[in-house]
Amino acid sequence: MPERRLEISVRGLKKSFGDNKVLNGIDFDLYDGEKVVVLGPSGSGKSTFLRCINRLEEPTAGEVFFDDTLITDKNIQAMRGKIGMVFQHFNLINNLSVMENLTLAPVKLHKFSADEADAKARKLLKHIGLLNKVDSFPASLSGGQKQRVAIIRALMMEPKVLLFDEPTSALDPESIGDVLSLIHEVVNNGMTTIIVTHEMNFAREIASRVVFIDKGRIIEEGTPSQFFSHPKTPRVKEFLGKVL
Amino acid sequence: MDNFFSKLAELFTTPEYIDSLLHGFLLTLQIAFFAVLIGFVLGLIIALVETGKSKWLAPLRFVFRVYVTVIRGTPMALQLFIMFFVIFAIRDFPQVVTAILAFAFNSAAYCSEIIRGGILSVDTGQTEAGLALGLPYRTVFLKIVMPQAIKNIIPALGNEVITVIKETAIVSMVGMYDLNMAAKDIGSGQNMASYVVPMFVAALFYLAVVYLITVIIKIVEKRMRRSDARA
Ligand SMILES: Nc1ncnc2c1ncn2[C@@H]1O[C@H](COP(=O)(O)OP(=O)(O)OP(=O)(O)O)[C@@H](O)[C@H]1O
Ligand SMILES: [Mg+2]
Repeated sequence: MPERRLEISVRGLKKSFGDNKVLNGIDFDLYDGEKVVVLGPSGSGKSTFLRCINRLEEPTAGEVFFDDTLITDKNIQAMRGKIGMVFQHFNLINNLSVMENLTLAPVKLHKFSADEADAKARKLLKHIGLLNKVDSFPASLSGGQKQRVAIIRALMMEPKVLLFDEPTSALDPESIGDVLSLIHEVVNNGMTTIIVTHEMNFAREIASRVVFIDKGRIIEEGTPSQFFSHPKTPRVKEFLGKVL
Repeated sequence: MDNFFSKLAELFTTPEYIDSLLHGFLLTLQIAFFAVLIGFVLGLIIALVETGKSKWLAPLRFVFRVYVTVIRGTPMALQLFIMFFVIFAIRDFPQVVTAILAFAFNSAAYCSEIIRGGILSVDTGQTEAGLALGLPYRTVFLKIVMPQAIKNIIPALGNEVITVIKETAIVSMVGMYDLNMAAKDIGSGQNMASYVVPMFVAALFYLAVVYLITVIIKIVEKRMRRSDARA
C-alpha cells in the first residue's frame, strides 16, 4: 500500500458533560481518501466524537490534529473551512434562500468571489436536479431536498474532509435513496469522509474501514468484510446480531 | 344624545380645546416614541449580555438580572414617582426627559426579556451550521441568529410598544399635560364642565394610534414570514 497522508489524527480524546463521561480516550487516524464508517449503539458517543473534531463540542481532554496542525480555539475557524459537516437535521439556514445558504460562507470567507460562488452553486444545484429551487427558502423543500442542498453547501467550501452525522436518519424512506446516492458519488470522487450511520448495507458498500464505538471507546475496527463477517469482540457480535 | 353631539361640536370648534388636545397628544407620542426607541436599544444590550457566553460578563449579567427583576416586580407609577421625586428631583430639569427615561428604563427590562427569548428560541442547529462552515461567531449571530430572533419577536415587541403608549397616561399623575391630562382639563369646570366628550375623544386618539401600530406590525410580520413559505 502506498504511503498515505494523514488528514486527521485524534489522540486521547475525552469528553464529559458534567458527570456523564461520554468519550473515554479515543485514538483515531484518518488518512487521505479513507471512508470511515462509525457504528455503535445509541448514546455511545458517535455524534460527540464528530463534534469534538470540528469543535462544536469543546473536548475535555486530548488533541485533534488536522494536517499535522493541532486544532485550537485560535485556528478552529480556518480548520472548519477544511472540515465540512453534514447534520442529521440538515440545518439549512431558515432565513436564507438556497442560493444564500450555498454562497454565504464561501463569499464571506473569501474562498470565492460572489460571481464564482454563484456559478459554482448553480452548477452543483443543477447536478442534484434542484436548480429550480435556487431562490426557494428551506421551509419549502422536502427533507431529502434539504439534505442534498446541505451536502452541496458543505462541498462549496471544497473541504478536504467531510463529516456526516446520520445524514439519512431524519428522512422518509423515499428520500433516503437520493441522499445516499449523492453521498456515494461524493465519496467516489475521492472525498475523505467519516460517516456515522445506521444504514448497514450502505456502510458495508461505502466503507474502506469500519470503526465501532461503545461507551466512548473504539472497541473494534477493520475492513467492512472483516467487521461484518468476522467480528472479533462479543459486543460487536451482539450488535450485528441485532441490526443485521 | 343631542347633548353629546353638541358637546362634540363645541370641542372641535373651540380652538383652545383642540389646541390642548393636540398638545397633549403630541406629548404622549413624544414620550412613547423616545421611550420605545431608547428602551429597545437598552433592552437589546441587556439581552446580548445575558445570552452571551463570555465569562467576564458574568458580573454585568448579575446586575442586569437584578435590574430586570426589580423593574418587572414594581409598579410603573412608582418607578415614575421615583424618577421624578428622587433621581431627577433637580430644579428645572425638563420633565419630558425624566418621563421618557422612566418609561425607557421600564421598557428596557421588558424588551430585554422579549429579545432574550427570541434569541434563545432560534434552534442551536442554525448556529452550529454556520460555525461548522467556518463562519466567525459574529457573522453567525448577525446573519443567522438575529434575523430569525427578530422575526419571532415582532408580535411581542409590537405589544410592548402599545403597552408603553397607553401607560404614558400616568404622567398626568405628576402633572404633565399629556393626552389623558388634556381630556381631564378640557372636561373640567372652568372649561366644558363635562368629562364625557373629551374623554371619549381622547380614547379615540389612543385607539387610533394603537390600531395604526397593530396594522404596521401585521404588515412587517407578513413580509418577514416570506421565508417560511416562498416556493
Ligand atoms: N450537549 C450535551 N449536553 C449534555 N449531554 C450530552 C450532550 N450531547 C450529548 N450528550 C450525551 O452524550 C451521550 C452520547 O451522545 P451522542 O449524541 O454522542 O451519542 P450517539 O452515539 O451519537 O447516539 P445516537 O446514535 O443516538 O445519535 C448521551 O448520553 C447524551 O445524552
Ligand atoms: Mg448521534
